[in-house]
Amino acid sequence: MSLPSISVYYFGAISLVLIGLYGVLVKKNLMKILISLSIMETGVNLLLISIGYVSGKSAPILSEGIGPAQAVDPIPQALVLTAIVIGVATTALALSTAMIIYEKYGTLNIEEIRRLRG
Amino acid sequence: MMNEIAVMLFTPLIAGILAWIINVKGIRETIGVLGALVPFALLVKEYSTVVNNLYNPPTYQLTVSGFNITFKLGTLNWYFAAVASLVGVAMAFGMISTSRNSYDWLFAMMSYTGVLGVFLSWDFVSFFLLWELMTFASFMMVLKRNRHESLKYFVLSVIGAYAMLLAIALIYAKTGALNFDDIRHAMYLDAIMGGMSKSETILIFALFLTAFGVKAGAWPLHVWAPGAYSENDQSYTAFFSGALSKAGAYGFLLLYILMMVKLYYVMGPFHGHLTFAYIIAWIGAITVVVASFLAVLQEDIRKLFAYSSIGQVGYILLAFGVGTWMGFAGGLFHVLSHAVFKGLFWLVTAAIILQTGKTRFEDFGGLAEKMPITFAMSLIAVLSLAGIPPMAGFASKWLIYEAAIQAHMPLVAGAIFLGSALAFAYVVRFLYAVWFGQRPSDLEDVQEAPLPLLIGMAILAIPNVVFGVAPGLVTKYINKVLSYMLFLFGERKVDVSIVTGSYYKLVTPTGTYNALTVTLMLVVGLAIAGLIYIYGAKARRIPVTNTYQSGNPVTEDYNLSIRRNFYRPLAEALEFWLKYSFDRFYERLAGIAEDFADWLREGFYNGNVQAYSWYLAIVLLILALWGVL
Repeated sequence: MSLPSISVYYFGAISLVLIGLYGVLVKKNLMKILISLSIMETGVNLLLISIGYVSGKSAPILSEGIGPAQAVDPIPQALVLTAIVIGVATTALALSTAMIIYEKYGTLNIEEIRRLRG
Repeated sequence: MMNEIAVMLFTPLIAGILAWIINVKGIRETIGVLGALVPFALLVKEYSTVVNNLYNPPTYQLTVSGFNITFKLGTLNWYFAAVASLVGVAMAFGMISTSRNSYDWLFAMMSYTGVLGVFLSWDFVSFFLLWELMTFASFMMVLKRNRHESLKYFVLSVIGAYAMLLAIALIYAKTGALNFDDIRHAMYLDAIMGGMSKSETILIFALFLTAFGVKAGAWPLHVWAPGAYSENDQSYTAFFSGALSKAGAYGFLLLYILMMVKLYYVMGPFHGHLTFAYIIAWIGAITVVVASFLAVLQEDIRKLFAYSSIGQVGYILLAFGVGTWMGFAGGLFHVLSHAVFKGLFWLVTAAIILQTGKTRFEDFGGLAEKMPITFAMSLIAVLSLAGIPPMAGFASKWLIYEAAIQAHMPLVAGAIFLGSALAFAYVVRFLYAVWFGQRPSDLEDVQEAPLPLLIGMAILAIPNVVFGVAPGLVTKYINKVLSYMLFLFGERKVDVSIVTGSYYKLVTPTGTYNALTVTLMLVVGLAIAGLIYIYGAKARRIPVTNTYQSGNPVTEDYNLSIRRNFYRPLAEALEFWLKYSFDRFYERLAGIAEDFADWLREGFYNGNVQAYSWYLAIVLLILALWGVL
């Protein structure tokens, strides 16, 4: 089985970011915007991981037969671990804000909310 | 020698800081006056050194963070510094009476240091730094009294400062020099080899014109001056208008010293004049006419003298713009006489305001009996400003007229004749409205001005008379200044002698003025007039309006008296021109900028999160296209 070229991962990750960006820019529903943000975040994480990929190397866990020379770059993986946690935290915060907004205004359409806020 | 320049420069600043810290009434005044006296005393002491080393002036160099700072005490620098410190001493005496707190002392003395530094610097590093110190300190003086006027002063000063900084940067980029001597050499070589393009040279010229024009209050950059001069401690204004505005005039001379050859090569002659100088001359002429007309129409003493200050500095620019040695001589003399008579005027104004608390003409009258010494001082100032012999103001204006006529500039000469006539019109009004006529009942218990203020006035009144009766004292020294300037232009060590004659007599290629004869004739004439007044006059009471209405029927709403609407017919005649005001033009410009900014803010900062996301996305796209990402 031959591995696909690295540019496929880049292309995919950047596409995800752009899809997310599109959602943020044009969707009016707050939930859809939050979903777009999550998609964007996934894309960024994928991009980070694929930057650290070294063709043909294995996971960066030092064990029998696998030394530092045989592993992929471990730093992006550490970064992504952090980023995932941050992403979950911000999503949770944003979702709870969305709940409060819905309770207060009775709608999730951002145009409506702006109009109601005055 | 080295230390003396440093002491001279920084004593006022240190004295100001000490006065500010100690802040005990009595002590702070003593420190301030001492701080003002030290530079003056040192300059007097250095006089012989300066004059005897005409072509090798005392120099003081030091290195500050990689920059070589040079101070020079050539005859030119000494002249300006001595004039400034003379007014500075008078200011310090005046401030004993008028200043209310240590804040005034701190910033007044700080600007004193700045002004001296500007006149003694011989490189652009220290010149610019001390220029900014001077501007900052004078701005702080205005700020405390009127925020709106200080803002106007600040904005125009900042425009001037950045123009100067840009010009210095351009010169440094092209020549690599900051020292005046090096710049002059580089410009001279550049004129022959043509390293700097025409547009760059003209740009540097225009930038310097803006920078120095703001400080000198040249039209149309004068709009800060009326407010800044009047909304201030009037004793400090004596220094502000008497000495600080001369920094701009000095800048124009510096322009000649640094760039004359280069500017001549680039801009060429115009009808037998240097084109760049011709521009300066016309700016001066317009300043004289516009400011004098506006001064005539003012109803407030402070505003009147503020506009008159602008007009008189216009004379100096005009004289320098004539570009002949005669013009320089007249301009330099007028630097001195304007400093002494306008300084005196402001101290008189300070005394009047201090003793009466009023500033408008309609509230005054008959003060000559109540404040006789102040009245005598103001009479000297009036005669000097109006250019009546035997006062310093006559000698200097006479030289400027001679210069303009000799240089075949009839229109420019006409502008100063007009300016002089107007100057006479407004000082006469000041003389009559404030000192003569009926005294309003609330001025019955006005006292003579306090002693320190009178001392300050005397310090400025004496040179007015002495240099008026013996103008040769000044012109002899001015010849030395001109010799030094010639040496700076062309490196030939020739003693220039433009205005010859004795101490009492000025002789120029076209005319002679014998101050002593004129004085004697004046004294005899006054004696005869006095005798006629004492023995021959029959007093007759007439209604006050008879004097002013010139036979017009008096109605309620067209009742002109010297105190109220005296020049209303002139204002009506000028109605068309008075519609155009650069002051209002700038205000409108500021209003438009504000509206535009409001529109931008409302359009873009609209509270729509998605709009902000769009901005972010667009910026990222631009960066990506640019190749940053």
